[in-house]
Amino acid sequence: MKLKLETAGNRGQTGGKRGGGNHYSRLYRKFVFLTLICSLAPLFLVGWGIYIYYSGFSRMKIESYFKSQVDHHRGIIELFLRERTSDLQLVVFTHSPDYLQKTPNLRRIFNVMNREGCFFTDLGIIDYQGRHLAYIGPYDLMGKNYSKTFWFKEVMKKGVYISDMFMGFRNAPHFIIAVLRTDGNRKWILRASIDTEYFRSLVENVKMGRTGEAYLSNREGILQTTPRFSGKIMEKAPLPAAFFHKESGIGILETDRDDPNQRFPRQIVAYTWLENPRWKLVIKQDYSEAFRDVNHANRAALIFLHLSLLVILIISVISTRYMVKVIKKRDEEADRLNKQLTQAGKLASLGELSAGVAHEINNPLAIILTENQVIRDSVEETPTLDESFKTELFTSLSQVDAQVQRCNLITQNLLRFSRRTISRLETVNLNAFLEEIIQLVEGRAKGMGIQFSADMEKDLPSFLSDTSQLQQVFLNLITNAFDAHDGKPYGTISISTRFNNQREGVEIVVADTGSGISPENMEKMFDPFFTTKPVGKGTGLGLSITYSIIKRLGGDISVQSEIGKGTQFNIFLPFMPPADVQENLDDVFVNPPSSA
Amino acid sequence: MKIPRILLVDDEVAFANNILKLLSKRGYDVTAVNDGASAIRTLGEKEFDVVILDMKMPGMDGIATLKEIKKKEPLAEVVILTGHGSVESGIEGMQLGAFDFVMKPVSIDDLHEKVCQAYQRRLIEEERIKQQESGR
Repeated sequence: MKLKLETAGNRGQTGGKRGGGNHYSRLYRKFVFLTLICSLAPLFLVGWGIYIYYSGFSRMKIESYFKSQVDHHRGIIELFLRERTSDLQLVVFTHSPDYLQKTPNLRRIFNVMNREGCFFTDLGIIDYQGRHLAYIGPYDLMGKNYSKTFWFKEVMKKGVYISDMFMGFRNAPHFIIAVLRTDGNRKWILRASIDTEYFRSLVENVKMGRTGEAYLSNREGILQTTPRFSGKIMEKAPLPAAFFHKESGIGILETDRDDPNQRFPRQIVAYTWLENPRWKLVIKQDYSEAFRDVNHANRAALIFLHLSLLVILIISVISTRYMVKVIKKRDEEADRLNKQLTQAGKLASLGELSAGVAHEINNPLAIILTENQVIRDSVEETPTLDESFKTELFTSLSQVDAQVQRCNLITQNLLRFSRRTISRLETVNLNAFLEEIIQLVEGRAKGMGIQFSADMEKDLPSFLSDTSQLQQVFLNLITNAFDAHDGKPYGTISISTRFNNQREGVEIVVADTGSGISPENMEKMFDPFFTTKPVGKGTGLGLSITYSIIKRLGGDISVQSEIGKGTQFNIFLPFMPPADVQENLDDVFVNPPSSA
Repeated sequence: MKIPRILLVDDEVAFANNILKLLSKRGYDVTAVNDGASAIRTLGEKEFDVVILDMKMPGMDGIATLKEIKKKEPLAEVVILTGHGSVESGIEGMQLGAFDFVMKPVSIDDLHEKVCQAYQRRLIEEERIKQQESGR
């Protein structure tokens, strides 16, 4: 099992209160959601606003176009009918009935009237009793009596009459314009039928795209011209009469959902009523075609909207991912610092406590030591005592001395750990310094079958540090390494130094091939009083002191270990110790005591 | 030969008593007091060669007492007793004119040696002053 811990303070990071990856994926989702809301809401609002405005605007434009078309066209049709009526009036008021009754005369007039176009199909003179006196045209209508027809009655009543489409004697759809002339007690009528096809083409002459059509229908909703698509002349117009309740209007006619054939798609319809005859002109076009440009623009806008949506989504995902990554990194950093702070705080409070305890213990120890001496002195001054008793007593007293010294050592260590000791900064040549330490312990190492291997960076600069504390650090680590080799016949302790240009300091690695440290011990190894050594052999302060010394000198220490394979301590030391350590130095050592 | 006069100042009564006994046996004239104020008072009543002064005392602490002693009796050599954690106070004491400091718990032999050295210096100082006075 391989385990790496940066420092004792670094452990349990993923199991922290943030709940690991889950927390960040939740944060991620929340951020994505929020950024999407924040960017999509205005996008949709603007898009919707523009859509509404543009649709309304273009609809208004189209409607006004239709309206002007229908008005304009009505004008044309009315003008045509008026002109034809006045043609007839001109003839009837300038010619006598006797003249007109003569067929060649009537033909000449008919030909002149049709010179500009085939407006009229036929032309006839009818007397006041409804008899056809003269007739020019394709049908055999001579001698027909019209006295019973509706138009005859109307023209006799009104003087001028334009009829609706009707079949009549010729049995073909047509409409007539009739003009009455009264001269004294003589009355006669000039009647002409308008060419149905010509009239149709006139009405139809509004080109409204592929689906547009124009037609006329009368008050009863009977078609007066044959529309392009919907229906035939003289049939019932397809649009509901209720739609045309105003004098003129425009509207959207929705698809009749009840119509099983769905004959009529959604249409835009404009209509207007003619004055005389009371016909209505209808212009209509499929909605989809009329609004094609608008719909096209809307579709384009929709595509843009979707594109922006996609872009926003991508940006939001990417930026959120980046943000969450940054936050995660910050959190981890904060966590690490927090843990370090906790560890530092723990060590500091323990340091305070230890210092107090050490102080308090010092006094009783001093008393015990002096008390011991008092006993020794008293025994020596008493000659009557048995020699063997004296010897035994002195042995015991020596033991008391030895144990007091042991306690003393512990309190010294405690105080050292609690940083109450003073740094003595001096220039250190680290390589030489480490060589010295190795020499110091080499004798003991040989006895245990342990070899030293040193891999030192050449030309490592000398730097300011506390040699006595550093000595303690490395002696502690090496002693631990020795202990880790307990029960192994041989082993290696390798020490290496590397220059770290980036952090301006040196990295030192102390690695052993010992028994390694278990993960649960690794968590506690820098805690004071934690030891795996048997009672009396270790105080559990070594690594705590090491840790606090390295931290105090502005460095850091981390450990990697694998059970059965060994442990590696990585130490970093800066070339410049922290300012407070240097300040301390100024206070105490730069001005040496004058009386010393 | 003159018996060296020692003033022992320590708030720990048992410790003071033991040192009193042990140093007396080693041929010193020892007076023990338990606080700084008594030390100053006693110093006014009687002359001492060496003062053994504990740094950590309730009331008037070692440093204050030391300053007072040096004011009253500049010739008296002061040996400071200090804990491991208060090396600073020992050094401070030396800056204020103490002879040296020893760390508690101290063996009687070490203390004896320091007191001896302090007494020797006191004698040398006295000699120098005498010579200066006679030379004038």
